[in-house]
Amino acid sequence: MAEETVDQDIQDLRDQFLNREFDEVTFEIDGTRFAEYAKVCGETATKFTDPGDPDFQAPPTFVSTLVGGRSMPPDFPNLGGMGMDAGKLVEWKAPVRDQATLTGRSHLHDIYTKTGRSGRMVFLVTRMELYDSDGTHVANADTRTVIRERPRG
Amino acid sequence: MAESIPTVTAIADVEFGGELPAFTPDTSIDATRRFGQHVGWNTPRFTDHDGARKEGLPGAIVPGVMSQGFLGAMIHRWAPTAEIITIDTVFRAPVLVDQPHKITGVVTDIDEDELTVEIDLTVTNEAGETRVFGTATARLPS
Repeated sequence: MAEETVDQDIQDLRDQFLNREFDEVTFEIDGTRFAEYAKVCGETATKFTDPGDPDFQAPPTFVSTLVGGRSMPPDFPNLGGMGMDAGKLVEWKAPVRDQATLTGRSHLHDIYTKTGRSGRMVFLVTRMELYDSDGTHVANADTRTVIRERPRG
Repeated sequence: MAESIPTVTAIADVEFGGELPAFTPDTSIDATRRFGQHVGWNTPRFTDHDGARKEGLPGAIVPGVMSQGFLGAMIHRWAPTAEIITIDTVFRAPVLVDQPHKITGVVTDIDEDELTVEIDLTVTNEAGETRVFGTATARLPS
């Protein structure tokens, strides 16, 4: 199997920043907010849309709407290009209920590159781990930011 | 918005390569404004065509987190008992507000031991261009 090569500057960033927590924020979950989210996204199951349902809970993708205090470590270097939201990943582990208090802790989960005709793109994956007040890990919410580097020289 | 008919209640109902009923999400300006009012992303680029054009966009765009919500809803409409374990969404290009879009899905793997299925989901515009692509793993009853 071919060994994956990583550019040295990216390896340096990985060594310095991966898996280092840089943000913690608390969310008070409002069931009316996630019910509206569910309805506007097209959910029809009452467990997502009706607060009267005994199993009322947020759709799994709702945690992508929870935004932390910052998306990058404060000392992360400016890579010199425009950052764009390239995608979201959710790992669902347990239901998020109305009036839950969640704690979101963020770290950089991955840094990798793709190189195309227009140059190198750097992908930064910020993971927010979400825990309820009992300490139950309810979800991971990843945001993938892509930075298209400006040509050098 | 088109209503899909739930066809799947257990993993035995799922066929490899089977297609989910196509889903037409509500990408209207009313929908993004409602999303902005209740959930967030309440800025002109999502809620006002003229405001979005001033930012250099061709018009207002659907927030990425809303597109991801469409994908989850599509799975639940197909299989109301499904528990989505992971859902990864790639934003390839903007989903333009007030433009018709369609979501298609196909089952790409079935794990009968783990009771899980993998599904590829694609949001396309009227020209057939892929705007958002997703991959999900969902658990179903035995």
